Amino acid sequence: MSVPRARMLELVKAQCQLFSTTFNPEGVRTGNKILRQRLKGPALAAYYPRKIITIRDFQKEFAPLDLMIDDEVEDDRLEHIAALKARGKGAPKKKNSAPDFKKK
Amino acid sequence: MRMPRALELLYLKPLRREAEFGVPSCDLQMRSYSVRNLEFFCDFALRAAYYLGLPAFGPVPLPRITERWTVPKSTFIYKKSQENFERVTMRRLIQIRDGHPETVQVWLAFLQKHAYYGIGMKANVWEFSGLEVGKAMDENVKEVSELLEDKWAHLGHKRSLEGIENVDEFLVSERVKVSGGR
Amino acid sequence: MSLFQRAKKFDLGCFANIKTIRDHTKRKAFEAAEPERQALRYIIRNTTLPARTRAIAQLQLTQMHCYTRPTQIKNRCILGGKGKGILRDFKMSRYNFRLQALEGNLPGVKKASW
Repeated sequence: MSVPRARMLELVKAQCQLFSTTFNPEGVRTGNKILRQRLKGPALAAYYPRKIITIRDFQKEFAPLDLMIDDEVEDDRLEHIAALKARGKGAPKKKNSAPDFKKK
Repeated sequence: MRMPRALELLYLKPLRREAEFGVPSCDLQMRSYSVRNLEFFCDFALRAAYYLGLPAFGPVPLPRITERWTVPKSTFIYKKSQENFERVTMRRLIQIRDGHPETVQVWLAFLQKHAYYGIGMKANVWEFSGLEVGKAMDENVKEVSELLEDKWAHLGHKRSLEGIENVDEFLVSERVKVSGGR
Repeated sequence: MSLFQRAKKFDLGCFANIKTIRDHTKRKAFEAAEPERQALRYIIRNTTLPARTRAIAQLQLTQMHCYTRPTQIKNRCILGGKGKGILRDFKMSRYNFRLQALEGNLPGVKKASW
């Protein structure tokens, strides 16, 4: 009753030809599973949300049309700095020359 | 005073067409976190299907998907007090039978145009063709290969090696290219 | 000094500190180098190729920059940059997730009791 191996192999070979699959009776490692894998780069690179547009971009876009856009956060910051300056508590001016360490 | 028919229908259950053969042509699954929206939109979809002449079946309530997360409320040492969160996704299935593929596409496009907030849609569409599909595909191949003809030029390397002695050199240069110049 | 410079233009729209920026750079580096890595991996795994070719491929793969390795990528919280206790579904650390969920910013997420 048992079918000889050679005959079985022939059958498998014919099957592979028909359905255009790889005929590999010895189970040699050809690394095809790497080729079958999908690329996961795009999915991984899309993890963090990207910066799409900023208020500054808006301002630039609409500047030629003489339209003003308020950046409230930026305005607050500038106001705060101006207040500090007025009280004499602002950041010191940047020095042009390197600091002199020897002078005490 | 009686309301106009079209208006009165809105207060009644959606009308349905009879399916003659009962061959499924589209499965539309809708998902949402809120039942109200889902029920409303199912109703809308059924009515749209009726007026397009599509026999629709459903909405079949599919099993809910419950996802749960447990997180510590605070820092590590207070691990004993945690909090549970869950998200329940409700699903409904509407099946179109005996629909003409184009009409089904119109229906789907209409639903997408009037998409309701907080509802996701996913459709499986089946199309049937006559016998001897293979021959039709073979004819298609001719057209497609003509279109592809000038695209092949972009594949593979373009210049010939001009002799066997250059093969080694080419392989080395390829290797350098592949390894990013290292 | 690393071979991979960060993007010239800052392109993160979420919370950013040096760790998230670095991770983002790694992700982009991996995306760019993935086909090459897969090709080398294929050559290494293919036992029908000559041993020399496979050995060369192994060396090339190990010599690629470490930023192109997928194992370097770590999911970080998009609201606080934390690297541990991240819920993959929400890309958030557990505490940020809890705050957002209680505030109702995550669609469908409710306090559960059963």
